[in-house]
Amino acid sequence: MRFDILEHTLDNGLRVVLQPDTSAPLVAVHVMYHVGSKNERAGRTGFAHLFEHLLFQGSEHVPREHHFKLVQDAGGTLNGTTWFDRTNYFETLPANELDLGLWLESDRMGFFKPGITQEKLDNQREVVKNERRQAYENRPYGLAFETLLARAYDEGHPYRHPTIGYMPDIDAARLEDVHEFFDLHYGPNNATLVLVGDFDPAAALERVEAWFGEIPARPVAPRPDVPVPARGGERRALLRDRVQMPRVYLMYHSPCYADPDFEAVVILNYLLADGNSSRFEKTLVYEKQMAADATSFTWPTESAGMCFAVATARPGVAAADLETEVRDVIDDLLRDGVEEEEIEGARNRARRGLLNGRAGFGDRADAIAHAAVLRGDAAYINDAFTRYGAVARADVERVAREVLDPSGLTVLHVVPEEETS
Amino acid sequence: MTPDRALRPAPAAPRPLALPHFERHALPNGLRIEHAERPGLPEVSLHLVLECGAGAEPPRLGGLGELTARLLTAGTPGRDAIQMARWLDRLGVGYRATAGYAVGAVSMHFLSELFEEALEFLAATILDSEFPEHEVERIRRERIDEIERQADDPATVAGLATIAELYGDGLYGRAAAGTEATVSAIGTETVREFHAERYRPGGALLIACGDLDRERLLAAAEARFGAWSGETAPVSPPETPEARANGLILIDRPGSAQSEIRVATVGVPHNTEDHHAIIVANAILGGLFNSRINLNLREDKGWTYGARSSFRFRRGAGPFIARTAVETGRTGPAFEEILREIEGMRTAPVTDDEMKLARNALTLSLPLQFETAVQICGKVSRQRVFGLPDDYWETYRSRIEAVTPEEVREVCRTYLDPDRLTLLAVGDAATAAPTLDGLGPVDVRPAS
Repeated sequence: MRFDILEHTLDNGLRVVLQPDTSAPLVAVHVMYHVGSKNERAGRTGFAHLFEHLLFQGSEHVPREHHFKLVQDAGGTLNGTTWFDRTNYFETLPANELDLGLWLESDRMGFFKPGITQEKLDNQREVVKNERRQAYENRPYGLAFETLLARAYDEGHPYRHPTIGYMPDIDAARLEDVHEFFDLHYGPNNATLVLVGDFDPAAALERVEAWFGEIPARPVAPRPDVPVPARGGERRALLRDRVQMPRVYLMYHSPCYADPDFEAVVILNYLLADGNSSRFEKTLVYEKQMAADATSFTWPTESAGMCFAVATARPGVAAADLETEVRDVIDDLLRDGVEEEEIEGARNRARRGLLNGRAGFGDRADAIAHAAVLRGDAAYINDAFTRYGAVARADVERVAREVLDPSGLTVLHVVPEEETS
Repeated sequence: MTPDRALRPAPAAPRPLALPHFERHALPNGLRIEHAERPGLPEVSLHLVLECGAGAEPPRLGGLGELTARLLTAGTPGRDAIQMARWLDRLGVGYRATAGYAVGAVSMHFLSELFEEALEFLAATILDSEFPEHEVERIRRERIDEIERQADDPATVAGLATIAELYGDGLYGRAAAGTEATVSAIGTETVREFHAERYRPGGALLIACGDLDRERLLAAAEARFGAWSGETAPVSPPETPEARANGLILIDRPGSAQSEIRVATVGVPHNTEDHHAIIVANAILGGLFNSRINLNLREDKGWTYGARSSFRFRRGAGPFIARTAVETGRTGPAFEEILREIEGMRTAPVTDDEMKLARNALTLSLPLQFETAVQICGKVSRQRVFGLPDDYWETYRSRIEAVTPEEVREVCRTYLDPDRLTLLAVGDAATAAPTLDGLGPVDVRPAS
């Protein structure tokens, strides 16, 4: 399996990646800006995400409420997301509407400021506050990651606060902040445009040049330094929540997305907790029946990677006892190593996961954009398949020792409101 | 050439969408097979659909279908649950078995080179499962834990309370996966009997889509499922209950950050005469981002992250539900706005602009709805399960385009009767209750 990748950079610095595929009469248009919550300043957490909302509120030539409307009217889907390191905006459209996607994306990149008003900011601020209430505060375990990050990272670390932001900071955002953020981070030379789908590459590139070429490059703000925290010993946190079962979170400092060991850590995640024969499922859920569920995953961050193990207790099981069991499983793995059959299965599951995540044009454009922006290498979309297939037993055992090291561990217990940990 | 930014760029000539064509086959034992070959990515999506959903259970054993589906990997004569898990996990096959109200389905996704072994695994779970006593006991306890934990999530609480209010003791009044009381009552023999009765080739349907040719599919299907025998009758839809009179229920969840809100009534089955008008009407009311409900509550008022509505089409009359989550102090006003929008759909014709948006959004999105093998399997599965016409998708565009504003108003008048809407909120009653004045008597209930 290989996807044809064509790369080009416009004179204004906009990086363009084309992946032609005629298997469906569709085109995915994806713009990723190299800015995220890590770029926020103190007192303005959540701003990158609030800003993302504002970019759907129209621009100089696109009236309010028309961005969604025009894409849906064309039969497309659209959305945007914000994360630590990047913010993306994307739509998948019928292939004959490529110009519509390019017009909308270039208008908000080049002509955003005339469209933004205090009224739009106030409205979307309320929407975002309600997003925080709905998706975090009013969800079981919804504040767990925010609590964990605040404990794992020291004051001032760019990954310390959640992308959604803290409520008082969302309230504090001003129109001047919006203008400043746009100037600092939303120039074409801080963006990557990915097209996947049914188009002629030369013709598509001509259209990209026509729509985006006139947008001037701007100085790009320096990127914040994101240090890997020192492994200064275990850290612990406790969160009381309106839940019935305790949940235990283990967070380890880990290779980041571009690290040569990234794939080996992901394979480790798969063999720890994906599938009923995985270590956590087999021991914690099946044999000991102490956990209702158990997962393990690594966030593909640009810097300072994060590897998690998360388990929810069965009734009557205390968080402390569950933590002991989780750590016993990890210690067993570190002591005795892993079996060839486990690695083979984990590789196969990882490769199927990659395939599933690249079947749709929108998902594939997202994967390409992440590879281009956070690894500087769009061709990783192809290499990943080979690299996951090449992870060997010795690699997994080595990264397990390096990553699952208690001196770099942060533990969070989420417990029912009336219980102690 | 600098393009004109002032106007939406004109689309190029549309490219034709080739809807997937499914070839139909059958084994001598009655197993129907539908197949669409899709070269390209080296993947296969597979669904085995069986008449084994909640409608086939005795109501006092609700969740039997789901429990049985979950137990399919719990052991065969040659392999125990762990060995089954190791087999599946070594292959790396994506596998999920679950039961809905009418049917149950095993869905699989894998690299096409693994097709034969994936089908061998599937056949082992369907034909040879033994349902060991200790495994039934274990999965039953897991299910009960899951059901108990649903009470943690206010959105889930709101959803379950809403359907209970609409359908009472009827099939659609409870989660297809059962309740704590009904799942607790299920024994090992019951599971074995249910499996013996319901997991039969006559009445079952195997759907395959992907990088797989006909010869490979039929050869493996014959080899693995040829010896399977028996027949199962289709699961009948439940009777449609009388929509109840207006009710306003507030489930108290002290300290909630928001109120989860539902406005609901008994809707319609999938197969109805006015199906396409209902789809258009819902798109305008609450189906699209630019629907009336979402533009009002989110983009105008800022009270919510989102608001939407849907008709749940099933073999029987599933519910219509409008849903949102709003800051607690807006609970009553949010109900009023949703009711106002529903009333607006009933009293005045929708605008030409709204009709055009709904039509285009529904029909021009067909290529997106049929993009991947996994999506396509799901589409054809629903089409067969709900007994839709063979040309449902071929005629979809023309039938949607034929819907008139008068028909939209008519279906809203027929199905969204303001005297038969159930209003339900889960939230902090002390703050929410005072906002409900003018909406009628409030039935305040404690959270369970």
